[in-house]
Amino acid sequence: MISPEELVGEEWAAWYRLSPVERWRESEKLWNVYFHLGGSLDSQPDTQSPFFDPSSPSTRPANGRPGMRILRRSRV
Amino acid sequence: MGGQACVFYGAAEFSRDTDLAILADSANLAKLKNAVEDLQAVVIAVPPFEAKYLRKGHAVHFRCHHPEASGMRIDVMSKMRGVDSFAKLWTRRTTLSMDDRHIDLMSLPDLVQAKKTQRDKDWPMLRRLIEVNYFAHRENPKQEQIRFWFLELRTPDLLIELATAHGPIPVHLRRKRQLLELAATGNKSLLERALREEEQKERESDQKYWAPLKKELEKLRHARVSLAKH
Repeated sequence: MISPEELVGEEWAAWYRLSPVERWRESEKLWNVYFHLGGSLDSQPDTQSPFFDPSSPSTRPANGRPGMRILRRSRV
Repeated sequence: MGGQACVFYGAAEFSRDTDLAILADSANLAKLKNAVEDLQAVVIAVPPFEAKYLRKGHAVHFRCHHPEASGMRIDVMSKMRGVDSFAKLWTRRTTLSMDDRHIDLMSLPDLVQAKKTQRDKDWPMLRRLIEVNYFAHRENPKQEQIRFWFLELRTPDLLIELATAHGPIPVHLRRKRQLLELAATGNKSLLERALREEEQKERESDQKYWAPLKKELEKLRHARVSLAKH
């Protein structure tokens, strides 16, 4: 039998082995970190979605997430 | 039925919006109206929040302005391509109990159908959703799980393993999904190619399904712009 590790690697296999409720809880932890870092609930436009409307209003500023901006980046 | 359901079933999606599948009858829409008012949510884009658009297969989009959910988008749908009626979805739903709350999620097989879209991001998700279910139950599976995996697994190695463990594959399943012949013979490279072709076909079907709906959305957008100009 193929093990999850062989197929998807250690990290994903560990996620697969969690129970649904454990995955939910882990996801909640990630959300808390995300909000703590200033993340927004305003979703990014999904240009592949059939609902995508380029004229749709967004609360997102044009330069990225509220409270988060790039201070330094490589030239690449 | 969106990212949150995917997390529950085993894929991982950091989805910031909330997707709801609802019954588009007047009593239920009245309840939904109250709920979106509680969230201080307003309709964004088109179409407007009317039952007729939901019944045609459109999604209605809201953005919340409540301080605890500020900016969150909610997408509401009632009809999806290849997915059964809401009544059937409801009878098959998964109910999750957590912290004295009950959350109703679309069943895994229904979620898998709903995720067969034209978008790139849905396909790796689909693969993972079924892999998780397979690994969790492969040692003591029910007949309906074996059937589900034969029809939906998207991982060549696991399809071959499944065919080896539960072959011969019933004829009605081979007819429904012809690439199962390749799983039965263990031809991985041809199976990979057939899976890619299967995905492409589904994406094209989704684009065709959406073509008239997108035209209608365009008309609604133009009407909205014209109204705003006058």
